[in-house]
Amino acid sequence: MLGQSVRAPDILRTPAFRIAGISVAILLIGILLLFAFIYWETAIYETGEMDRFLERQIGAMAQSDPVNLVNSVTQRQPTSGTAYAALFDAARQPVAGNLASFPASLAIDGRAHAASIGVDRQVRAAAAILPDGRILVIARDVSELSQLQQVVLRALVLGVFPALALALAAGALLSWRAVRRVRTVQRAVARILDGNLSERLPTRGTVDDFDRLALAVNRMLDEIVRLLDEIKGVGDNIAHDLRTPLTRMRARLERGRESARSQEALEEAVGNAIGALDQSLGIITALLRITELEDGRRRAAFREVELSRIVRDVAELYEPIAEAARVTLAMQARQPCVIQGDRELLFEAVANVVDNAIKFAPPDSTVEIAVIDGEAGSIVRVVDHGPGIPPDQREAVLKRFYRGDKSRHMPGSGLGLGIVNAIVNLHHFRIAIGDAAPGCVFDLICAPISEERSTVK
Amino acid sequence: MESHAVEMARPMASRGAKILLIEDDVEACDEIGEDLRGRGYAVDVAGTGTAGLTAARSGVFDLLIVDRMLPELDGLAVIEILRREQSRVPVLVLSALGAVDDRIVGLKSGGDDYLTKPFALGELAARIEALLRRPVETRSTVLRIGPLSLDLIERKAKRDGRTIELLPREFKLLEYLMRRPDQVVTRDMLLEDVWHYRFLPQTNLVDVHVGKLRRKIDAPGETPLLRGVRGAGFILVSGTGESVPGAQNIKS
Repeated sequence: MLGQSVRAPDILRTPAFRIAGISVAILLIGILLLFAFIYWETAIYETGEMDRFLERQIGAMAQSDPVNLVNSVTQRQPTSGTAYAALFDAARQPVAGNLASFPASLAIDGRAHAASIGVDRQVRAAAAILPDGRILVIARDVSELSQLQQVVLRALVLGVFPALALALAAGALLSWRAVRRVRTVQRAVARILDGNLSERLPTRGTVDDFDRLALAVNRMLDEIVRLLDEIKGVGDNIAHDLRTPLTRMRARLERGRESARSQEALEEAVGNAIGALDQSLGIITALLRITELEDGRRRAAFREVELSRIVRDVAELYEPIAEAARVTLAMQARQPCVIQGDRELLFEAVANVVDNAIKFAPPDSTVEIAVIDGEAGSIVRVVDHGPGIPPDQREAVLKRFYRGDKSRHMPGSGLGLGIVNAIVNLHHFRIAIGDAAPGCVFDLICAPISEERSTVK
Repeated sequence: MESHAVEMARPMASRGAKILLIEDDVEACDEIGEDLRGRGYAVDVAGTGTAGLTAARSGVFDLLIVDRMLPELDGLAVIEILRREQSRVPVLVLSALGAVDDRIVGLKSGGDDYLTKPFALGELAARIEALLRRPVETRSTVLRIGPLSLDLIERKAKRDGRTIELLPREFKLLEYLMRRPDQVVTRDMLLEDVWHYRFLPQTNLVDVHVGKLRRKIDAPGETPLLRGVRGAGFILVSGTGESVPGAQNIKS
């Protein structure tokens, strides 16, 4: 089907064509109603008016003086080509007036009837018997009316059918265009399915439904590509981060086997190898943890938690670590601050941020931890005076496995901030990284961002 | 922390304790069984859930190690059946499932402790000891281990009359260790039981805390009481001699 030209039956089946068909039908009904009205107006109404006039006229004339009647019949004669008046004797022979013969089959009852005069002159005529036995006939020509009717009918034929044809053609054109766009999209989708992920649905730059749909699909494709890249990146990173300790481990074991001269040397080699293995296992555990957090089911377990308390606990837990690194922990969390969340996870997130800050803080510097009131909500702010994070890397540090060049030598799985990010996303919170000149300001903005924004992101 | 004295302190296992290992992976069984026998336990092995259940019902075991995924009858079902039959034997659950939920499910079905694969053999041994020996409960308000004493009411610690100033967390840590004298406690056990945290610290948190406590307890020149155990964790020895007695030595 794909790649073929647009065929006629396809056009007939499109919704656009069906709509065109319905429109044509409605138009047709409208036009027919209009013509019915015009026809009624001319043929029925006008004829009726004429009939009433003729009947009134003949009634009046029949009661007038017989001498005057002959005069008025005779006088009427030249006034109008459309008006006839004549007197016939009882034998229906003309006495006076402009009719040469009595109209055939005209009933003599004082009422108006259709009749014909001469060869083909159509008239409305009325006949009445006068008291003296003569017959009065008056008639009016209706050929103007029938001409009008014919004009109307011609207009119908000449106007309606082209209009119908035009409507159908427009419908067919629209349908053809719709089918053609669907085909284009189908071909684009086929190319994407074939693995060409850079392909996008064509748009026209208009704001029609098709374009909006195509733009939505394109945004979805962008997101898919981004996720795929991320997975690929994660794969590369897993390979890299696991390969490093595994290579080291292999080298140590090999050297131990080849050159260890004593029991102690061998034990040391094995011990080091186990250390490297533990590091690899730590990476796997942290990865599984992030996957677990990204599941989102834990949101059901959210409770009211006191943020300042969590931050104080973290500070207490990390006090000796800071001390060992000759870093001062400065803590500032005043009033209680209650938010919705998972206590253990928030603790883990804050702990990882503080852990990170202490790792990068130079000796004899201060790491400041504070709970402050931000515009959107409470903020846990951790400030260190280490090397800081360049603006272009601030987003990347939150990704799994990211390690700045400066931190390659640091211990840890490299997943600490990845876990923080996963926890923050689970809470619909936000992270902002700033500059402490020198150093890094790390804000956990503990205000749920709206569902919409978090999904669009 | 490597600079601290790390001694190969290997306390003797609870003497002759009989352990039933229900695990279908033959290689894992061999490794675990061999290690535990080396530590002085008697180990029986069952390869399926039903075989394990039958063996456990004999009632001769002091402790069960149960893998979650077993042929025929899964590990948690075995534990649930035993618990319904009023068996109170301590059970350690082994599992490759490490998520928080999995752990909760494992403990809810009647397990006493939960260990995620892969684990260090030292971790397993420490947890087995912890399950076999109940922590010291004393009516006295003062815990005494060798030269150490800990007053639970006054919140004061002393070593041979020398007062040791402790922060609240250090006090809790020392109390935990003193209730488990001559018993290896691992980093994970401390993190879970003393700090009640179930996350993976990116730093050697526990080592730093223990190191700080150690410097307060073991002044220069004194016999180290709080020692590191390589590949496992820490141990608080009750004797001042170099040998580590297996018997509990509490004067309360």
